[in-house]
Amino acid sequence: MGGRSRVAAQMLAGKGFDNVYNVTGGFKAWESEAAFGKEELGLELFTGDESPEITLVVAYSLEQGLLNFYLSMIPKVKNDDVKNLFKKLSEIEVKHQDRIFNEYVKISGKSSSREDFEKNIVMKAVEGGLTTQEYMDLFQPDLESVEDIIGLAMSIEAQALDLYLRAADRSNNPESKKILIQIADEEQTHLTQLGKLMEGI
Amino acid sequence: MRWKQFLTPVKSFDADQARKYMADKSSEECTILDVRQPSEYAAGHIPGAKLIPLPDLTERLDEIDPKKPTMVY
Repeated sequence: MGGRSRVAAQMLAGKGFDNVYNVTGGFKAWESEAAFGKEELGLELFTGDESPEITLVVAYSLEQGLLNFYLSMIPKVKNDDVKNLFKKLSEIEVKHQDRIFNEYVKISGKSSSREDFEKNIVMKAVEGGLTTQEYMDLFQPDLESVEDIIGLAMSIEAQALDLYLRAADRSNNPESKKILIQIADEEQTHLTQLGKLMEGI
Repeated sequence: MRWKQFLTPVKSFDADQARKYMADKSSEECTILDVRQPSEYAAGHIPGAKLIPLPDLTERLDEIDPKKPTMVY
């Protein structure tokens, strides 16, 4: 990897890219924050032609999928620290949804209640490419280990971050693109917070 | 001299430096470029990374903004 990235970086520098960095250590050093899957994974949700309004609805639905997953885990674990961690993760998702919903109300000019919005507009059980069962199979976390659960959450958030950024990249609507990048930046913040949490164990 | 291109020195970052560098930037402000093959990308990649395998890079240069900082792995 090191060899290829160095050559690529030199090619770019030679073509007038001023600010090129070769990231050494390759991909291995990113393992805990990695996203998985092909370039198209999950993009059936975002074709690129969505209006800002629809973009927010899809994002809200995605966050709902994550929220449901975290909530469903609470009764499945025995360790109180892990239970609390899942609660905390679900609260983060709710806050994220709050912001998305407020933005939706602002943009759409529709003053629907949160309840109506969730019942009539939000799509059911959307997941960012991989199902939660696939995550569980992929990472096989020890459900009583705080460290494993933070690792799992980081992977899931990284997957969401990756999906939003790929969706932003293909979006043809500048407003929708802006929204997707904003949401992606929030996911990045979650990921950084989770990383700190992991360091603190 | 054309072959000067081969000697162009590039800065290196290790993963921690790259993380710090990106931490205070919006994802819009810099490009993360994955030059590995699609199968390697599918097995795991940095979130938001743009995939252009090394063999395609010269043909697809127009897909990357030369004004933005670019991190290659």
